[in-house]
Amino acid sequence: MTGVVLATVLGALFALGTFLVLRRDVVRVVWGVAVVAQAANLYLVTMGGLAGIAPIGKFGKEGATGVTDPLVQALVLTAIVISFGTTAFALVLTYRVYEEHGTVDVGELGAAE
Amino acid sequence: MTVGTGAGADMGMGTSASASASASASASLSASASPGSVVRPLQASGAATVDPVVVAPVLVALTAAVLALLVPGRRPKQTVSVVGVVAYAVSVGLIVDRVLLPPDRLVYQLSGWPAPVGVVAVADPLSAFMLAVAAVVAVPALVYAVVHMSDDAQELTFHPLFQFMLVGVSGAFLTGDLFNLFVWFEVMLMASYVLVVFYSGPEHTRAGLQYVVLNLVASALMLVAVGGLYAATGTLNMADMARRLAAPAAYGVAVAPVLGASAVLFAVFALKTGLVPFQFWVPPAYGAAPTPVAAMLAGVVKKVGVYAILRLYFTVFAAGSLPSALALPGLAGDSLLDFYGPVLFVVAAASILLGGVGAVSRDRLEDVLSHSSIGQVGFIVLPLALAATASGAGLGPPFGDVATLGVAAALVYTVVHSIAKTALFLAAGTVEGTTGTTDLDDLGGLAAQSPTFGVAVFAAAVTLVGVPPLLGFFGKFLVLSTALEAGSAVALAVAVGGAVLTVAYVTRLWGRGFWGAAGPAVGSTLALPRSEVAVVVALAAALVAVGVGFDPLLRAAESAASAALDTGAYVDSVAPRGPPAGGAGAEPSVEIEVEGIEVGVGAGGGLPSTEVVEP
Repeated sequence: MTGVVLATVLGALFALGTFLVLRRDVVRVVWGVAVVAQAANLYLVTMGGLAGIAPIGKFGKEGATGVTDPLVQALVLTAIVISFGTTAFALVLTYRVYEEHGTVDVGELGAAE
Repeated sequence: MTVGTGAGADMGMGTSASASASASASASLSASASPGSVVRPLQASGAATVDPVVVAPVLVALTAAVLALLVPGRRPKQTVSVVGVVAYAVSVGLIVDRVLLPPDRLVYQLSGWPAPVGVVAVADPLSAFMLAVAAVVAVPALVYAVVHMSDDAQELTFHPLFQFMLVGVSGAFLTGDLFNLFVWFEVMLMASYVLVVFYSGPEHTRAGLQYVVLNLVASALMLVAVGGLYAATGTLNMADMARRLAAPAAYGVAVAPVLGASAVLFAVFALKTGLVPFQFWVPPAYGAAPTPVAAMLAGVVKKVGVYAILRLYFTVFAAGSLPSALALPGLAGDSLLDFYGPVLFVVAAASILLGGVGAVSRDRLEDVLSHSSIGQVGFIVLPLALAATASGAGLGPPFGDVATLGVAAALVYTVVHSIAKTALFLAAGTVEGTTGTTDLDDLGGLAAQSPTFGVAVFAAAVTLVGVPPLLGFFGKFLVLSTALEAGSAVALAVAVGGAVLTVAYVTRLWGRGFWGAAGPAVGSTLALPRSEVAVVVALAAALVAVGVGFDPLLRAAESAASAALDTGAYVDSVAPRGPPAGGAGAEPSVEIEVEGIEVGVGAGGGLPSTEVVEP
């Protein structure tokens, strides 16, 4: 059940991110990139498997047959930090583009070439 | 957990001095090998030498980057940066000396965590070869940047960013862990984002935005591919992954999802390498970046994508065989690598033709060069495509088979393109610096102004064509002989067609820019900066020298190519440990959990003893 919900959410996030990346407004494009990055993070967590208890603090307790794979969670922490930094840079760059060109419309930026 | 620990330890080491880091690392190594310790000895019998020199290039560049960030003022930053890049070249030289000839493999387990739990750094001949290429480009590019770029530009961030880019490149060449590869890619790319928009004018910001957004999407895709590969194989360690793919039934690995995830990963690498159909970002980004950075992007950063394709597809994924139900007609074999042969061939052929046609029709020097680098990367990937599908036909020495010949041809061509394109980009920077333009219509007669400069540019340009005795001749020769030996008439036709296009754009560049009467922007007397000309001349001299004395490079390329294709030796050198064959590979959490606890106890972790698996 959790798997179905997560798969649906992942599909929706990737679809939303792709939709935003294809917009003309550069700010929305950056939003789209951020959404796609988060979708990738969620996908990574899902790939660790959904069975088992939280991988910290409850080892050996009653009924705990296994723990969830902690590796993917560490990976995602790293990936979140990276995508935070890159998203911030992309937003600053967007502002800089607006300063230089007076527009954030991809079509107008391309026409200025 | 494991990757987090490894990355954290790596960063920690980097901020301290490299000497103390190596000392503490070797201390922990010897401790773990002592008989009373719970952690098993790091080395299985027959494994490669464990040596901290493996991570020396990363540490040297990282130290230089941090120092260049901390010291105030332009002069100290320049000093730190130049000393840093020379020390980098020395550290690369140490590794090359140890592993390239005769071939050897050095493995360093970060923090002493054994593979596949910890992150390993592996220096094999292929890594050493690529590191040497990086060093050969980085030193002249940085020296040129110091003399060419304005004082203001070097005041704050240029030198730290340059060094950070070198950190990412070296890490990517050396890591033996898939997620770690992603992290090094990000380190390299983040520095390159800022360097591309360094001048932050209108055209720079626009090109930079395109470059950043594309690479961010590619990074997300890479993350998805890494996640998929982890779920399918249950490991992130490249050697362990190859081991599991070689015996999928024993480890419960489903190979079909690996094919899908590796295809996503291939698209990412093709984008970073600038192969058709992902080539469109290359000309604007190279045009916007400062010329020493454009030289680094074309000469080094691009080659990281080539390296990743070689390492992952030729070393790791080649170990896996597709289920017969998935085999397509017309493929030479059923390994995952055979599947990529046709894909590589199509992107290589398209890159050669599109890049060549694009370069012929451009009017600005750096546009010609960046389109040319799309085509030249096609020449690197074409022999790889033939190597991927080659059957094991016997050849005379020094190459045992077509696969080795193809990979060696790609590696030699990598050297050719890196040095020649670096020289040409730097020359374009000098032309722009002195005449104020790179438009071929306004140039002309540059060779008459400075014959030395003209000869150097000519040597670099005809190297791309492949005229003996320059190095480029051997690159073209090996590519063509790979096509001949593989019996591929189409590849031969594409390579010859691409060579004709190369002749066309090189002739045009030389004839309109450097020969003939002086153009409007050139004038009668033009003083080219001597130090900048000296760097270009040094690179051109290297092309002649290595072309005349080609044998060592050939043997190095052969050694690196054999290493790239020898999956067994790579796996043995890393010697990943883990549960015996038959573990629950389909459910990665179980397997990794057991390994983590097993080692965690040995390392002093507070986990219950009931979970311990005795060595």
